[in-house]
This record gives sequence, structure tokens and C-alpha cells, in this order.
Amino acid sequence: MTAQAEPTGSPDPGAERAAKIAEFQRRDKWRRRLPLLPALLFIIVVTQIPFIFNIWYSLQDWRIVPPRGPDFVGLENYTEGYTNQFFLQSVGISITMTTAAVLLSLLVGTALALLLDRQFLGRGIARTLLITPFLIMPVVAGLLWKNQIFSSTFGVLNAIIEAFGLDAIPFVERYPFWAIVTVLVWQWSPFMMLIILAGLQGQPTDILEAARVDRASSRGIFTQITLPMLRPYMELGIVLGAIYLLQVFDHIEVMTGGGPGSTNVPYFVYQRSIGGGWDFGQAAAYSTIVVIASIIIATFALRVLSSLFQRQEPV
Amino acid sequence: MTLTARDKQLRGQSRWGTAALGLVTWLVAALFFFPVFWMVLNSFKTELVANTKPVLLFEPTLDRWEAAIDSIPGLLSFSEAFFNSFLIVIVSTVLVLVLAIPAAYALSIYPIKAWRDALFFFISTKFLPIVAAILPLWIMAKELGLLNTHLVLIILYTAMNLPLAVWMLRSFFGEVPRELIEAAQMDGTGLYGQIKDVMLPIVAPGVAATALLCFIFAWNEFFLAVQLNPVEGSTVPVWVSTNVTTRGNFMAKLSAASTLAVLPVVIAGWIAQKKMIRGLSMGAVK
Amino acid sequence: MSEVSYRDATKTYPGTDAPAVNRLNLTIDDGELLVLVGPSGSGKSTALRMLAGLEACDEGSIFIGDRDVTLAQPKDRDVAMIFQSYALYPHMTVAQNIGFPLKQQKVPKDERARQVREAARILDLEDYLDRKPKQLSGGQRQRVATGRAIVRHPQVFLMDEPLSNLDAKLRVQTRAELADLQARLGVTTVYVTHDQVEAMTMGHRVAILDYGELQQVARPGELYRHPVNLFVAGFIGSPAMNLIPTDTEDGMVVFGTSRIEMDPAVAATVSRAGAKDLTMGIRPQGLSLGSEGVPAEVVVVEELGSETFVFVELEHLGQIVRGRVRVDAEYRVSRGDYTNVEVLGPVHLFGADGLRLKTATEQGD
Repeated sequence: MTAQAEPTGSPDPGAERAAKIAEFQRRDKWRRRLPLLPALLFIIVVTQIPFIFNIWYSLQDWRIVPPRGPDFVGLENYTEGYTNQFFLQSVGISITMTTAAVLLSLLVGTALALLLDRQFLGRGIARTLLITPFLIMPVVAGLLWKNQIFSSTFGVLNAIIEAFGLDAIPFVERYPFWAIVTVLVWQWSPFMMLIILAGLQGQPTDILEAARVDRASSRGIFTQITLPMLRPYMELGIVLGAIYLLQVFDHIEVMTGGGPGSTNVPYFVYQRSIGGGWDFGQAAAYSTIVVIASIIIATFALRVLSSLFQRQEPV
Repeated sequence: MTLTARDKQLRGQSRWGTAALGLVTWLVAALFFFPVFWMVLNSFKTELVANTKPVLLFEPTLDRWEAAIDSIPGLLSFSEAFFNSFLIVIVSTVLVLVLAIPAAYALSIYPIKAWRDALFFFISTKFLPIVAAILPLWIMAKELGLLNTHLVLIILYTAMNLPLAVWMLRSFFGEVPRELIEAAQMDGTGLYGQIKDVMLPIVAPGVAATALLCFIFAWNEFFLAVQLNPVEGSTVPVWVSTNVTTRGNFMAKLSAASTLAVLPVVIAGWIAQKKMIRGLSMGAVK
Repeated sequence: MSEVSYRDATKTYPGTDAPAVNRLNLTIDDGELLVLVGPSGSGKSTALRMLAGLEACDEGSIFIGDRDVTLAQPKDRDVAMIFQSYALYPHMTVAQNIGFPLKQQKVPKDERARQVREAARILDLEDYLDRKPKQLSGGQRQRVATGRAIVRHPQVFLMDEPLSNLDAKLRVQTRAELADLQARLGVTTVYVTHDQVEAMTMGHRVAILDYGELQQVARPGELYRHPVNLFVAGFIGSPAMNLIPTDTEDGMVVFGTSRIEMDPAVAATVSRAGAKDLTMGIRPQGLSLGSEGVPAEVVVVEELGSETFVFVELEHLGQIVRGRVRVDAEYRVSRGDYTNVEVLGPVHLFGADGLRLKTATEQGD
């Protein structure tokens, strides 16, 4: 920006000056916004266009088997959809699966972080081993657990169970929901662990020492100092975890193929569209319902977890 | 803060207690890692051994590894898949950083009034299940001639990781003291100079953590890859799935393929884990 | 010519009612070291930042020399700033920190190195050029921040409480060094502090701000002897001036049992306006303890070694008021003693509006 070189002496008369200041403020606003634009535009084009198409499809009766449409039918897909029992079931599964996976991962991850937050021999290696599940491809993880751990013929778990003289348990067949949740927890606990570890290592030592001097017990220190301090980290873990775990697909596809009680909303939508149902209009309507519901819920949830958006106000 | 053994003595914790806990941690870590270990182990078995009751001791062979890497004409080959994955993932991660860094700056240093809304909007793009977007995406890709190309996955993976990157980088940038930016302004830097010379060096661990996460998520992505690039330009996750057949059991070969598939990300994660933790503790929370 | 002037400069932070800086009119002469002083929230830092270009003027303008810089970016104003927290780049060495502005100006490497060395020599930093900020002490960091500012040879130096983060002893020493440096370089400098001792010792002139409004700008001696209002009177001088609400009786100022004569011009003003809500001001140095004067009881004794300040309580206009009196170090007095307070030095009278009433000599000016 160039400096304004004015001739000596008196400032401009009022109106011209006010106009100049207004112009300056306007340009300043754009200067602030500009760096955001590339990312914003990119994301709008790549995600919103499909979303709008999606809404358009949801207003059509469009199937492939048997072929029909696309014919405009307005909100028919929605009225049929939101009472559909299977849809509602999948919503329930989505909620329970995500909640279980997030909370259990958080629990396990926190426990792991606490174990790791001390000096002992081979700590780095232990940590390396522990983060590995998070790095594994979901399809590989799903296949691995299904065929090599849970399997009643080749699975390690059942080999151990049978060694004790008990009957093999076909885990995936009998408990599809929990089998999937187990794999999810196995994969996401390291993620939570990393976040909590970051939080533990940020603990201010002087507060801990003051507590010791005040003869606080270990448990007391943990519940009253450490836990509250970890809260924002836990909230971050919950939010990030929920966002990703709500969209779980690969595990379900590979482990149960949508078996009873293991179909969440993404998988349900898949089943209704290219996964066999070939009813694009209906599937699109389900997705739109889900997106709108998620936005509403997220808006509320984030107000509650507002510490995540807490930052000093811009000056 | 991690406590040294001496610290603990001062605080009344026993040496033996610490050692016992260390042992417990090791056991837990081993347990957690076991499935991965088992998979790698199986890759060295022959199919006969692998497809019966699990055993720990056997005669190892590299036979299944050869089979996995072998390319069958007409089917996606190992080297092709790896090349595609590397290309797509690296380019998309770089693109994510190029877009996200200025965006994070705009949302943290001189934020517009609606910065919270902007951030929420970015996150909200992840609420739409990919399975729902696949139809319009497929149609668009077809119209634009982008099916079976690298470009389509690069674009989509960038869009997939951008919200996370913007969120994380924003909070890292927020940790840079305002006065440092102001000093840089007074010293004559513009936006580019401020980011390059002042902010990035300071938040480097955070950028590394973000890049690593983007790398992980993009590398492991399966659904979009298999829908949009089923034949050419396909990635490692798709390649792995081609080893899953209903015709006969190829457990060992699958294990070998799986091990290969996860190796790059695992190595990257192992190397960068310290940076991850440092990066996350830098302010992903605030 | 690098004279600086604020002309009706105003800034209000969004979301607040009152302006942080309200129609500031202030001119700083070429080569002058002007101190902006005031309590927290007085707007002094805001005014400095407006000059730097880090805050925008909502109204009014700012000139550096002949140039209207009101709408100019910081880097186009040719000013250099030393921040309270020093704002050193943590990932750069001392040499890189000092050389950074030169790098932005595209100064060639050799020339840059030469200028950095020169600045380091002036500031006694030559041994530390390869260290990073976190390896330096507070005083050293302060000098690096100074180095980064002087290496630019700007038209104006801005200093935002540069000594606040130093311990007391270092502060006194560095104060003199900064004043000396400014005198040698001869660069127009605006210096912000909340510490009135710093202001008085360093500034050629001192400008006092309260709630965004300029109270008075003058040389330190002038501020001390002729404060323009109650605020300035109570702010300048350590320990503070005793300010006691009082009244007149028979044309004389009441102080406990004493009666003090008024300057004729002051007396005239008082009789014209009526003697309501008057406040008298007298510095501890203007009072003494002894056998003559207003009866008082000693409450607190503060022995500094070089002198002693005694807090006394006395009866004044039917109430108990407290005041501080300066006595020589050898004077023996303890809590609970009964003594008398005598008025020696100049007594100031402040009207109901807080303004000091001028004496005949002043009015003649």
C-alpha cells in the first residue's frame, strides 16, 4: 500500500476525509478476507455443488431397478423417508455406534495416555506400538479383525477360547455391532491418546507442586486438577472423533455388509442407492435429512462445547 | 510434564511401583499391537498354513509376498497402485497446505467478524456422507472426463482434508503472539513475508502434525477411490481389496498385501509421532 | 524534518462507548523525546499504536513531517517500534533479528551485516550475535529489540513501555542508557509508560493522558510546579501530592487549625465563583513537623534512608484527614507521637471543576 503524500499544512475538509477513511476501511476489510477466499471457494465448489445436486435428486422419483424417472415429485421422498422404519433404525445405529466408539476410545485413549505419561524404559517404543492401529487402513483393519481375530475358523481369539475347552464364538456373525465398535475403538484410541498426551504434557508443574505441598492425594490431584485441565482436550477429541466416526463406512462394508444391527446411516444410504437399492431419489432425500439434522445438532453441541471456539476477540 | 524416577521418589512414589506400571504399559502396548503383528506374521505363511488353525510357529516363506507383488495384466498392479497413491496423496496434501495456511491466517490474525461461522461452515462440509455425494460426483466427473484420473481424487481428497487443516492451523497460528506479527509488519513484511518468515517457522511442528493427518486420511481412503477410479489411477486401498476374493482363501497373500499397503503410513507415523504430539499440544485445543 | 503531530486524532474500539483516544492534538518536535504517560486505560498505548499504524484513526489525522500518514500502512510510515514484550523472532538469531528489517528493504547481504554489527557495537551485543532470544537475559533481549529499531534509521522511534519487564535496578540503568542513545541519535521519539518517575526523568516533555484525553503537556518541571488539574497534580510527583478538600474563611484557606493566605488572583477567582468544593494541594515536601502548626498524630513512618515520610492524621473542617509529610532522615518520630504540621511550601488551590486556580504571576503570562 502506498503512503499518501499530501502537501503541507491543513488536513482535508471534513467530507473528503471521511470518504477517504471509509474507502480505507473498506479496502482493509477486503485485505482481511482475501487469504481466506481460495480455500473457501475451493470447498464451496467441490462440496456444495454435489450437495445442491443431491437436493435436486431428492425431489425426483428416480430409480434404476426398475427404471423410473427422473420425475419431479416434490417432497414425496421426504415424507416417505422420515418415517421409514429402516431409516430410523439406521439413525439409531449411527447414534449408538458413534457414541459408543467415541466414548470408549476416549476412555481407553485417556488410560493409555496416563500410562504413557511417565518415564520408563522403552517408552518411545511402547508409544510407537500404541499409535499403529490408528495408521492402519480401515479396510485392512476390518478384514484383519474379521478374518484373523474374530473368525471362528482361523481367528486367534477363538483359538484361545477353544484352548480353554469352550465353543468358538462367531463374533462377527453373532455380535456385528460390537464387533465393529471393537475395531473402531482399537483404531481411534491412539488418536485420543495422542490428544490427551498433548494435554498432559502441557500441565503447569507449579500447580502440581503446590498441590503436593498441600498434601493432596494422587487421586485428588487427578480428579481436581488434571481432569478439569484435560477437559478442552477431551472435547476436541470428542468433536473430531464424532465427525469422522459418524461417517464410518469401510468397516461395515468389509466386516458385516450391513448385517443386522450394524447398518449406520451412510451404509444405509449406500444400500438404497448404488449398493443395491438403486433408488437415487430416496437415497438423496435420506442424505439431505441427515445433513440438516447434523447441522442443527452440531450448532447446539458446539455452543455447549464452546470452549473450543473460545479465543480472545479480535481487536 | 513427565516425572523422572527421582521426582517420583521425592513425591513418595516407589521405584517398584513405577517399574510395575512400566511393565503394565508394555503389556498393554503389546496387546494393542498384536493384531498388526499377527497380520504381518501371517504374511510369511503359506496359504495352507494360514487358512487353518492359527499357529505361532511355522516355516516362513516369502512366497505370498511375491504373489502379492506380482502383477497380473489387466488387473491393477502393486507398483501402479503405490505410484498412484503417492502421487495423489502428496499432491493433495501440498494443495491442502497451500489453501489452508492463508485461510488459517485470515481466521486467526486479523479475523473477520464471522470467523466462527466460516470455521463452522468448513466443518459442516463433512456432515454430508460421501456415499450420498458419490452420485453427483460420479456424474460430474464423467462429464468432465475426470473418471479414472489422478486429478479427481486429488481434488476430492483436498476437499476432504481442508476443513481439518484449516481448523488445526488456525489454532496453531492463534498461538503466535500478536506482537510478533505487528513487529513483522513494522519491519516491512507483507502477508506473504509474515507467513513465510515469522509464522511458519514458529508453528512448524503444528504444520507437520496437520500434514501427517492429511497424509493418513488421504492414503487410507477407500470409498471414493473405488467408485471413481476402479481401474486406472487407482490407489493402494483399492489394490488391497482386489486381493479379497470369494473364490478360495488367500489369507496369507492378503496379509502380505495389507502389510505393504499400510507400510508407508505406518513408517511416516512412527517417524513423526513426536512432532504430532508437540504439534497437538501447541494449541489445537484453544 | 521529522516532527510528529496528532490532529484531532480519535479512536473508539468497537463495542465500547467512550473513545479510547479522544480528539488528541499533540505535536512532537523534531529530535524530541516525548513521553506519553497515564494510568491503565488512559489511551497512551492506543495513541502510540495509532502513530505506528497498528490502530486506525476513526477521525482526525496524523502527520509525520509533511506527510499525512493517517491511512498509510505501518511499513510505509518510516517508524520503528520497541514492543513491551520485545517481540523478538524466536527462531532467529540476534543478528538475524536485528537484520530482519534490512532484509525486507532488500539491503544487500554485506551491507546488512555491516549495519547489524554497527548496531550491535552501539548496544554492546557483539558477543551475542549468534544466540537465539531464549538464550538471552531480559536486559539483553531489550537491547536486541532496540537494535532492530535503530538499524532502520527511521524518522520516528516508538517505545511501548520498553522497561516494564525489567527488574527495578536494571530498569533504572537502562533508562539512562535509552535516554543517552536517543540524545546521540537525535531521532524523534514517542515513549509510553505508566511510571511517572520514568516519564519525568526521561522526557524532554511529558504528555499526560487520562481516559483518552490529553490533560497537560509540558516540561517535567512545569508539570511538577504548575499542574493544570487535580489529576495531573495527583499523578506527578512521588510520593503524591496531598489533596485535601477544604474551604475558605475570611479570605484565607483553611487547613486544620491553620489559615493560609491566598495569592490575590486566586482570591479574586474564589470570591467571584464562590468558595464551594475547593481542594487544596500541597506536596509532602511543602510540609514539616515541629512544635508549630496544626496538631496531628503520627500514624505511619516510612524511612527511606535519604529522607523519611510521615503519615499523619489531623482534624480538618470537622473531619479526620490524612496527609504525608517529608522530614529529614535524622528526625526521630514514631507511630502514636503527637506533633504539629506546618505549611512551608507552595499551596495549590483547585476549583470545583478540578482545575487549578492560577496565581497572579501565571495569569500575567
